[in-house]
Amino acid sequence: MSGMGPSGRRANGPAILFDRVDLTLGRTAILEQVSLAVAPGAVHAVVGPNGGGKSSLIRALLGQAPHRGTIRLDWPGDGGREGPGTIAYVPQAVEFDRGLPLTVEDFLAVLCQRRPAFLGPDRRLGYGEALARVGMAGKGRRRFGALSGGERQRVLLAQALIPAPDLIVLDEPMTALDEAGVAIFETLLAELTAAGTTILWVEHDLAQVRRLATRVSGLNRRLLFDGPPPEMLSPERVLGLFSAAPRTMAGALAS
Amino acid sequence: MSFETLRALIQGWAAAGWLPAGLTHGFLVNALLSGLVIGPVLGGLGTLVVTKRLAFFSEAVGHAALTGVAIGILAGEPYTGPYASLFGYCLLFALLVNYTRNRSNLTSDTLIGVFLSVSLALGASLLLVLASRVNIHILENVLFGSVLTVDDRDLTVLLAVAAGVTLPMLALFNRLLLASFNPALARVRGVPVKRLDYLFIMLVTVVTVASVKIIGAILVGALLVIPAAAARVVATSLRGFFLLSVAFASIAAVAGILLPVQLALPVPSGGAIILAAGLLFLGALLARLVMRGDEG
Repeated sequence: MSGMGPSGRRANGPAILFDRVDLTLGRTAILEQVSLAVAPGAVHAVVGPNGGGKSSLIRALLGQAPHRGTIRLDWPGDGGREGPGTIAYVPQAVEFDRGLPLTVEDFLAVLCQRRPAFLGPDRRLGYGEALARVGMAGKGRRRFGALSGGERQRVLLAQALIPAPDLIVLDEPMTALDEAGVAIFETLLAELTAAGTTILWVEHDLAQVRRLATRVSGLNRRLLFDGPPPEMLSPERVLGLFSAAPRTMAGALAS
Repeated sequence: MSFETLRALIQGWAAAGWLPAGLTHGFLVNALLSGLVIGPVLGGLGTLVVTKRLAFFSEAVGHAALTGVAIGILAGEPYTGPYASLFGYCLLFALLVNYTRNRSNLTSDTLIGVFLSVSLALGASLLLVLASRVNIHILENVLFGSVLTVDDRDLTVLLAVAAGVTLPMLALFNRLLLASFNPALARVRGVPVKRLDYLFIMLVTVVTVASVKIIGAILVGALLVIPAAAARVVATSLRGFFLLSVAFASIAAVAGILLPVQLALPVPSGGAIILAAGLLFLGALLARLVMRGDEG
């Protein structure tokens, strides 16, 4: 059965269940006994200090970090669709040679199509439309390496829309965004939510999380809290998240 | 069409004055065909080598060919084409570099530096052993290329390698690039990053080894790097980058093979090809300066 999102809308996205997840790198415990449920169609934010395991949680979810415990995606079973849906990921940054002769459309083509990108973009995939949705209409021919950090971040958001995602995993997508970019991100979240997409969103900006997320989890090696943002992000809890526990991160709160 | 028929056709055109007179010689036709087969492949693959920052690696694989040849001659293979040892040793070298890179905390350039030095030391030692057995001047051909001795067997190897490299290169071009942009994003999009890494270095290795006879072990890596570097300087899109690199590598290969014969210059083919590529690179740099001047 298709799940119902937190807002009561029918969700296409999966539910995610982390069950007693442990992740160790060398001798350092990065995640300890993390159990967490993400509802289908939720905008679920994960907050916590740097080094608290937020990105590692994403890597474990995407099957890129060896871990103990269970991580399960429960996809909605009806609608005639078999098997898992589309997972999109928006990384914090991409590593590439800034001088590379690579246009924005070339970059999208490298990510989204099988036909060699040097033969040109496959127009059927809707690159123009995806760029328009992130406020980059008409900038497809610009060199990717010459974009500002905020523009590059928007292109990273655009790639996640092709093909339309059922689950989108965002790793601090607002870091480089300017004011206009933040507004676009907000609209995009609303559109994705309306489409029933499950959104797992690692973010350091607590004010944005308070405004936009339907649920928030505080993570600093262990899960410290999990619930609706207005209640969870009380000053005491936030102070506890950033100052207490495994690694002292008072500085992160101050910044 | 057999090589014999194709050769006769080209020789006929040369005799009729449609092509340079030198091409009435069968050995020069063979040389030209080998350049036309391998040039575009090296140019195309070179764009990925440069983007994935594997220029030093491709140079190192070329140098490893020297040791491969020495092992081949020691093992009793014909010195004109010890392909089994060449391919075997160079693939082992490349796979070992990649395997160790994934499991050590050393940067790529340091690790390749170590492997390259050790491989060259082994090659040099074996060559000294060989010096008493074979005419050491034969090794000049290995070092600097001897395109004029390319025979039908070499052409067959070149054609097989060109086809075997071009097909996966085209089919996996985007995925190979994406793996270097962001491995995590690549994996989410279904790219098996590690396996593709291995596949790519194998493609680079076999195309390099197949080109040793034409360009020579010392310079073979350069035709993977210089045309792509020249194209990167002037291109403004991925299409331009790829097509220009293919064109530059093909022009350099053909010019390097034909010009020394036409002009009666006593230059080895490998040197001439890389000098031609170098001139194209210089031209690309100048063109870039002029374009910048126009913009400014």
